[in-house]
Amino acid sequence: MTYRGRAALQKVWDARAAANFMGGGAGSGLIVFAVAGDARGFAFDVLLVAGLALIGGGLLSVWHELGRPARALNVFRHAKTSWMSREAIAAALLVPIAFAAIAAVPGAAMLAAFAAAAFAVCQARMLQAARAIPAWREPLSAPLLVVTAFVEGGGLFFALSPWLRVGDERLLVFFGSFVLLRVIVFLVYRRALANVVPQAALVALDRAARVLNASTVVSLVAVAIVAYGLTPEAWTFAAASIAGLAATAGGAYLKYALVLRAAFRQAPALPHLPARGRR
Amino acid sequence: MSTQGVRRIPTYCYQCVAGPDLLTVKVVDGVATEVEPNFCAAAVHPGNGKVCVKAYGLVQKTYHPNRVTTPMKRTNPRKGRDEDPGFVPITWNEAFTLIAGKLNVIRAEALTDASGYPRVAASFGGGGTPQSYMGTFPAFLSAWGPVDMGFGSGQGVKCYHSEHLYGELWHRAFTVSPDTPLCDYLISCGANVEASGGVAGIFRHAEARTRGMKRVQVEPHLSVTGACSAEWVPIKPKSDAAFLFALMHVLLHELPRERLDVRFLARHTASPYLVGPNGWYLRDRATRKPLVFDALTQRAAAFDAKDVIETLEGRFDVDAIEVGPDDEVLSDGVVTGETGFTQLVAHMKAYSPDWAAGVCDVPAKTIRKIARQFVDHAHVGATIEIEGLTLPFRPVAVSLGKTVNNGWGGYECCWARTMLAALVGGLEVPGGTLGTTVRLNRPLSERLASATPGPDGFMSYPMNPTDKARWSPSPNIRNAYRSMVPLAGNGPWSQALGPTHFSWMFLDDTPKGLPRVTPPDVWFVYRTNPAISFWDTDALGDKMARFPFVVAFAFTRDETNHFADVLLPDATDLESLQLIRIGGSKYVEQFWNHQGFALRQPVVDAAGEARDMTDIATELAKRTGLLDKYNAAINRGAAGVPLANANGDFSLPVDAAHSRDAIWDAVCKAASAELSGGREIHDLAWFKAHGLATKPFPRTDWYLFPTMVERGLRFELPYQERLARVGAELGRRLHEHDMHWWDRQLDEYQALPKCKDFAAPWEAAVSVAGGKPVDFPFWLLTARSMQYAWGGNVGMQLIREVADNIAGHRGVIMNAQTAAKLGIDDADDIEIATPHRVVRGKAVLRQGIRPDTLLLLGQFAHWATPYAKDFGVPSMNALATMSMDLTDATGSGADIVRVSIAKAKGRAPSQAPMGRARARREMSGP
Amino acid sequence: MTRYAMAVDLNRCVGCQTCTAACKHANATPPGVQWRRVLDLEFGTYPDVARVFVPTACQHCDDPPCMDVCPTQATKKRPDGIVTIDYDVCIGCAYCVVACPYDARTKVTKPAFAYGTPMQNEAKRFDDARIGVATKCTFCVERIDDGTAKGLTPGVDPDATPACVNSCIAKALTFGDIDDPQSDVSKAVAGNAHFRMHEELRIGPRVYYLYDATREDTPIVEEAM
Repeated sequence: MTYRGRAALQKVWDARAAANFMGGGAGSGLIVFAVAGDARGFAFDVLLVAGLALIGGGLLSVWHELGRPARALNVFRHAKTSWMSREAIAAALLVPIAFAAIAAVPGAAMLAAFAAAAFAVCQARMLQAARAIPAWREPLSAPLLVVTAFVEGGGLFFALSPWLRVGDERLLVFFGSFVLLRVIVFLVYRRALANVVPQAALVALDRAARVLNASTVVSLVAVAIVAYGLTPEAWTFAAASIAGLAATAGGAYLKYALVLRAAFRQAPALPHLPARGRR
Repeated sequence: MSTQGVRRIPTYCYQCVAGPDLLTVKVVDGVATEVEPNFCAAAVHPGNGKVCVKAYGLVQKTYHPNRVTTPMKRTNPRKGRDEDPGFVPITWNEAFTLIAGKLNVIRAEALTDASGYPRVAASFGGGGTPQSYMGTFPAFLSAWGPVDMGFGSGQGVKCYHSEHLYGELWHRAFTVSPDTPLCDYLISCGANVEASGGVAGIFRHAEARTRGMKRVQVEPHLSVTGACSAEWVPIKPKSDAAFLFALMHVLLHELPRERLDVRFLARHTASPYLVGPNGWYLRDRATRKPLVFDALTQRAAAFDAKDVIETLEGRFDVDAIEVGPDDEVLSDGVVTGETGFTQLVAHMKAYSPDWAAGVCDVPAKTIRKIARQFVDHAHVGATIEIEGLTLPFRPVAVSLGKTVNNGWGGYECCWARTMLAALVGGLEVPGGTLGTTVRLNRPLSERLASATPGPDGFMSYPMNPTDKARWSPSPNIRNAYRSMVPLAGNGPWSQALGPTHFSWMFLDDTPKGLPRVTPPDVWFVYRTNPAISFWDTDALGDKMARFPFVVAFAFTRDETNHFADVLLPDATDLESLQLIRIGGSKYVEQFWNHQGFALRQPVVDAAGEARDMTDIATELAKRTGLLDKYNAAINRGAAGVPLANANGDFSLPVDAAHSRDAIWDAVCKAASAELSGGREIHDLAWFKAHGLATKPFPRTDWYLFPTMVERGLRFELPYQERLARVGAELGRRLHEHDMHWWDRQLDEYQALPKCKDFAAPWEAAVSVAGGKPVDFPFWLLTARSMQYAWGGNVGMQLIREVADNIAGHRGVIMNAQTAAKLGIDDADDIEIATPHRVVRGKAVLRQGIRPDTLLLLGQFAHWATPYAKDFGVPSMNALATMSMDLTDATGSGADIVRVSIAKAKGRAPSQAPMGRARARREMSGP
Repeated sequence: MTRYAMAVDLNRCVGCQTCTAACKHANATPPGVQWRRVLDLEFGTYPDVARVFVPTACQHCDDPPCMDVCPTQATKKRPDGIVTIDYDVCIGCAYCVVACPYDARTKVTKPAFAYGTPMQNEAKRFDDARIGVATKCTFCVERIDDGTAKGLTPGVDPDATPACVNSCIAKALTFGDIDDPQSDVSKAVAGNAHFRMHEELRIGPRVYYLYDATREDTPIVEEAM
């Protein structure tokens, strides 16, 4: 038997940190989808710059949270074990590669996709390595974050599709499968936490589940409408856009919930109680 | 003093009654930075030389930004809580001129007023702690003459009051402690040694736990002490007497007699004394000595007859006289007498565990188990050798805490506790129940020496007279202790151990027969804040506002000095100089293996114009023409040590004003001469460098038993003939003067106390206040907080910060299930109400408290003290009332109030900050 | 090889917070920052309730998660086991704060004083290097280093021993070299039933909680999380 104290919500990473996970996930996912969706020309350039801007915005946001922002470059000093260093390195590599891709350097686009994916993985592992937070350190948190990064990025990709005219039905279905996968991973993740995190964390996650479910339903219905050709051609992009927006919004809320609402610290726990004198 | 570099300066902390703690202060470039234990003292201090958490607040105290650092005078003549005093800085000269002006008028006119009460009054904080900081101020008071020190701030009557008085009567136990270093089984009824036992108490109990001592905590809430005990018995508030009586019942009626220490009872107590048909001892006609029945000769004999073998139990016809109150002979001839013990056995018959279970809400089987464990652990018959002396070894004890041993039921609890010890021979012997200090008997510093032979084979006791010739309805001070409370004695501590709330209560309504109680012309206030710490605090403030001239020694502004006319900034703990006695046997767990002296010295310069209390006292003496008497008082020992003793004469010339250092230099020399028998004379410089000087204190001196044996004395137990006599005489005297308002208290004087519903007066108080008892179903209790108790440290951020780690410092502790039923969540605002008053605070939900009980730690609800006034934590004191009905025969009350609770609606009204009691009418509109 | 460790006797601790206060003095931590503190925990349901006081601080883990996550290498582990923070390198990302399962680390972002403006003692000891970075218990590493340089023994000589251990009024804290079987801390651990908190995380904390095994038969219902 273990006697557990009350767990407290972590307060040291605030909305600025959450914004980094939101921006970083969506941005890296967007770059991946820009490459996977075979966007070209202006659309490709816009998508990559938007992806970089999201990642950069997230990093800028979290930079504001640093206690010593002037020393930010020290972040690169511990790639050996720190996923934060690795995240920074991935971001640093991504920027020139992405610009190379924009400049149409051969092979750079694929490399940019890999770098963006690497960034998403680093972010996901970064959260998972924070071992004080049971909801984060659960192994499934990393795949969940990676999948939702692709969903959020894909979501933005399709959200922008009416204007950029990118993507096709196959990619949309592929995206839809990720949306479905995300909710499945989340459910498994949530189940794994059932006896691990405090009730308040589960309440927060369940609220996130409701949002995620709603966004998944909206998203998948829109994908289905497009996939089964249930909408006039002119409305296809709009439907895809709705599918994308809903999925991205769901992902953003998930990050918010994960970073700010479900992030209860490890509670003090005693496997034994003291006897306090002879019984 | 040199300011550069790093120094560690030895000093002491005596912020609480369980001091002193010996410490060093690290001073870096003239700035005090850290408090540390004085590691050099580890070998002589019973707590391994460690320092209590309160001492760590002293650095902040020294540099507190809200300190009063210049003398100040009031400019607003109107006094009241809502009046801004308009304090403005003045010079010391102006301050002294103002104060001496008032004092000299009094000296010129008369020292007492028309009622016969002293015109000067002085109030100090609890437990005698201010005496370790006030330098030579006692010498000034001594030189002055009559001073009323009976305006209480809660000490005494809210403290271990019955224990102080009855304990000192029965076993020279102003404070009672288990012999923790040897005790194996302790029943602790509400005693919170982890909150109030200081470093020595905590250290010793931790050692005892590790050794295997079992402590059973009997208390309505799971206190820190309960948490650190092997067992918690959640007893109904104010029912401890029933619990203890039931334990006695088991010992007397459910166990074979040989399990008790029959020999101890027969030889060393009054158990074999024969009690006559009228309830008084049967006495030898010629010598008037109480009689026992000699088993050898089968005849009555004087209790101290040679070779007598006392019969413990039985009923015998003997030729004797029976003497009642006022020396009336009530029987003369052959009468039937029963031994006190036989009467005890009969008396306790009704108090079975099954009966007590219904009273205490503790299962009978738990009570039986505890009683049997108590006896099992007592090892009746065992002995131990200490310092070559073979003594009985009885490693069991019972300790009592606040609200258990004061107020109604306090007498019965103290009696039962002491009887439990006596029944197994565990009184004043190794492992057992010990007294640790005297305050009413003298000499104060030598407990054993105070055990002088008195009447009937018992120790003497300085009862206030109750005989017709000497009793007076005109008391010396306003709280009337000398007229009303014989047990309070008449020593230097007696004024503070009388019914100190009477001084306040009687200002409005002096009861019939006593001279009208008047406000003092000059009131000195030092290290105390009665407007927060006593009961009925709002009303108390209103009364202070009527005092014409109040001189407050002020660290910061507070709720009492809000009503002052002059504020004097005294140099605080780390800024001033004093030598005190340490070790020997003192309060609570402060019985040491060493004794000696320790110095408190300035580790930094005093802030602003703050002055040492000694310098202030000297100047006051000078300006009131009392210098000679003041110096003479110091020479006599008013600074703690007589300056002339067999080992040297260090007396000060009486006709000059001496500097602080000159005075304490003489004290240091006299003290070291006394300590060493004249072999080593240490001056102030030596003490400044070394901090303390000690010599061994014999461990056998922890125990009174050997002294009792040596002096042929018996413990005055179980039968309380003397108390019954005193009570009967007191009743006659009062009635002769048509004073009947003390009749209920007179009922407490019983030879064998009856167990009553001791909670009833507090329930009845609801009806008296116009409420329906059913509407006020909760008991509101208070408990000491280790971080704050006695410290006057409520304004220290550090203390607040660390205390907050312990549950209950931010609100009202209540049972979580009860809260759920009332729809109250953790941290919700709740209102606690009596029929007349309401306070507001946050709910702190815990499992470790009875469903019918609420607990407010400490005494907060400040409204003037900087920093503390923002806490928003209510205080029981604002809800508690002062009343005759709630005052027991010793003059004490208890910290307990019957209340209702409800989830607060809306925000706290801005006019009434959280924690302030306000009239209930204001809540609901006119 | 020296490896410093602390033993905490839960049977002795009374939650008085003297160690908390002593630590604040020794390390001049600002208001609200407690490098160590004593938790007041309650388990069970009335009337079967246990209340336990649990001193907690940096556990100077063998495999400290704070060190792994630190992106700057500001957090290091010395050969003697003490986990340190280089305030000049730390960027104040607080990643270590969310990585420490013992809630032992704090980051303050701006100077704070007990009563707003600094008192003399606060001004004297204010260290700007500690603003905006992670801070935590160091086992009073300066005392240990200064003391050992003078030939003193940590855990025995006060001048080489953490302030909390020096201050404890219940003798609940023992400190020393756990690799030395003759040290007080080794003897305390060897001679008592003990556990380490969050052992399941396999990070090798170096704070050992001593308890008395005789209570094992007392059922206290676990508190809902």
